[in-house]
Amino acid sequence: MRLYTVIAALALLGLTGCAQNKYNWNGYDKGLYEAYKDPNQIVALQIKLQETVDALEKEKQVVPPGLYAELGTLYLQEGNVEKAKIYYAKERDAWPESKTLMNVLIKNLDNRKKVLEKSKS
Amino acid sequence: MKYILMCLSVVGLIGCANVQKKDMSAFTAAAPRSILVVPVANKTLDVDAPIFVLTTLPIPLANKGYYVFPVNTTKYILEQEGLYEGDRILSMPVPTLAKMFGADAILYVTINRWDAQYAFIATTVTVEFDYKLVSADGTVIWNENKKMVYSPQNNAGGGLGGLIAAAISAAITRAAPNYMPLAQSAHQQVFLMGPNQLPDGPYLTPAK
Repeated sequence: MRLYTVIAALALLGLTGCAQNKYNWNGYDKGLYEAYKDPNQIVALQIKLQETVDALEKEKQVVPPGLYAELGTLYLQEGNVEKAKIYYAKERDAWPESKTLMNVLIKNLDNRKKVLEKSKS
Repeated sequence: MKYILMCLSVVGLIGCANVQKKDMSAFTAAAPRSILVVPVANKTLDVDAPIFVLTTLPIPLANKGYYVFPVNTTKYILEQEGLYEGDRILSMPVPTLAKMFGADAILYVTINRWDAQYAFIATTVTVEFDYKLVSADGTVIWNENKKMVYSPQNNAGGGLGGLIAAAISAAITRAAPNYMPLAQSAHQQVFLMGPNQLPDGPYLTPAK
């Protein structure tokens, strides 16, 4: 019985060893879950993501894949196009796999701005 | 003592490496660097389950060494295109979707079970998922199914399952069953453990 306990404990150790986080997500999944559960929490998610990327940049650590872009989208949804573009560009520069999508998003935002300006003049 | 050590090392091996591998040739041929996680399809009556499950997918995949497209941004983009539901996204041609995002592979997850059965003494919570990873040309390169059941009566079983159940039990209450630890645990097991786990992605294997 004791043997069984020891094995189970070590296996669990092994599990946590494998499941270790490669990046510092700082509760991104939980924040997103809270925001989906209660839309009032979207602002909290945005603040949290901003704090996370600021802290990681300051410590010269890798910002996890997707985090810059998620922050950009939250800015876009509140109408802050310039900030959205800044974070989409950061995502593109940090993760080459995102280049196609981020360039399309940035280009679309530029085009949208041009159309708006034309309609004004 | 020798016997104990031997057992432990075997357990360690199973924990991290694979003993019997499934055929991964299609996966190896596609060698994806990036995974697009699209909104989850739902076969259950719980309308919130798909968005909740979506939040649990990026971290284990990124930890496995892949670039994972931002799930909320992906959801937002698809909604702008009029695609709100995972079931509709499933019927979209894979190459169109892959090209739109510049993704090497797309992960489709379907929720088959997400329910709590209330009994007199204990509540049994069940989640079940189908996972399908498809390369940009539409070839299925990996798939898996996982069902997780939590029932307080299982605790007597001991061993690894018992330990996991004990860890989960703290989060699950009779009044409001919390499915999230079960969902997370299911993903961990299919992506990171066992004979059919995902091969390591480019950010886990050293650059050649």
